[in-house]
Amino acid sequence: MLCLIESALLAGQKFGSQVLRNERSGLLAFVRPVTLKAKAAECPKEESHDERNMRLKRPQSPHLTIYSPQLTSMLSISHRITGIALSAYAIGLGLGAIVLPESIPHYIESLECAELGAACISTLKFVLAFPLTYHFWNGIRHLLWDSGLFLSIREVYLTGYIMLALALSSAVALSIM
Amino acid sequence: MSREIQLFKLCKGTFGHVRNFHVATVTNAAAAAAEAKPSARLKTFSIYRWNPDEPDKKPYMQDYPVDLNACGPMVLDALIKIKNEVDPTLTFRRSCREGICGSCAMNIGGVNTLACISKIDTRLEKPTKIYPLPHMYVVKDLVPDMNNFYSQYKSIEPWLQRKDDGENKSGEVQQYLQSVEDRQKLDGLYECILCACCSTSCPSYWWNGDKYLGPAVLMQAYRWIIDSRDEATEKRLDKMRDPFSAFRCHTIMNCTRTCPKSLNPGKAIAEIKKLLGGVAKKPEPGLKTGALQN
Repeated sequence: MLCLIESALLAGQKFGSQVLRNERSGLLAFVRPVTLKAKAAECPKEESHDERNMRLKRPQSPHLTIYSPQLTSMLSISHRITGIALSAYAIGLGLGAIVLPESIPHYIESLECAELGAACISTLKFVLAFPLTYHFWNGIRHLLWDSGLFLSIREVYLTGYIMLALALSSAVALSIM
Repeated sequence: MSREIQLFKLCKGTFGHVRNFHVATVTNAAAAAAEAKPSARLKTFSIYRWNPDEPDKKPYMQDYPVDLNACGPMVLDALIKIKNEVDPTLTFRRSCREGICGSCAMNIGGVNTLACISKIDTRLEKPTKIYPLPHMYVVKDLVPDMNNFYSQYKSIEPWLQRKDDGENKSGEVQQYLQSVEDRQKLDGLYECILCACCSTSCPSYWWNGDKYLGPAVLMQAYRWIIDSRDEATEKRLDKMRDPFSAFRCHTIMNCTRTCPKSLNPGKAIAEIKKLLGGVAKKPEPGLKTGALQN
């Protein structure tokens, strides 16, 4: 803008234009001087992926509830659940040994004497044994995977069924014992 | 003049030919439509809807009946038909319609896949449910925000990294050598189209998507780690030596199960874990890769 005024003035001097010389009524009256100020550039606000999406109120698409249950994910989550069950058994029995007035074998004996019936005892044994056998056999499957074996989807399913059969049969064997 | 007449005759014939073809196809299609009309095979598509212009309105499922007799065989055909003929506000990504661009990745019938290469389930009594890719922020309807996925892909620096600049002594750019066996190691890795079906099928990625790279990105990381021509292997591996980047993979194998290109990201991650754990080492290149640069 300043440039423009300057060149206009120059032009006025050069051609002796009446219009430009007369500052009150001439063209200059229409020219508004503008001051330009240097200003630090504003940093774009740093916004994470989550923050941005939450600001835009975008919903999260459904996941666990809509994804079809498959052998892959089901065996994985049950590996976790049996792991949790095993630690619960270990902690429970360990704490029991400390807290209860009698020792654990005493309670096992009294269970045996209570004459619950063979079926009931076997079921109880199965509940105790299955997490162990499942976690054991599936653990071996995981070790094989970690060494890079049986990782095609066909082998994943095949080893999955074999593992299930082994876990069930060994749990049954333990609960009949 | 005779030449022009000759040309005119030739052109006239051609156009007539084309018109005949055109008429023929139209009548065929019309005949087929007339024949099929009596028994409309109505299939319901139940589709996830959310509109950013009404952000406070909860996402909902909208049902669209589609006559399968008047629709192509793939789910994408049905979606396009709905958008064209029933509801133009239905929003989804699509481009190539042949399973090579990865745009139309979505959750169809509970499984992540590409709409363009998944056949419509023709059991009419069962509605097909269509959701956007799971556990993603929704931009609109079936369109998820892929920014996090892409920035993770960027973070693994998916390009060939060399210590030399590819030029020989006289300044000419030369190719890097690779043996046939070394090249074969990239098969099953380079074909990935980054549709994110696998990553968004992975429960670990659902819960730790901010820090865990996810199967798709890890498989691409492995693609560059194992490339005999790449010289940044150690740098690439060091970047992943933390509890999250690679080790959040618990070998659930949903990724391999769902991959629409039948690739095996689960296997690639297992190989990365072996390299990270020091159980395996990247083999020496079969050919001296920089032989032409000397």
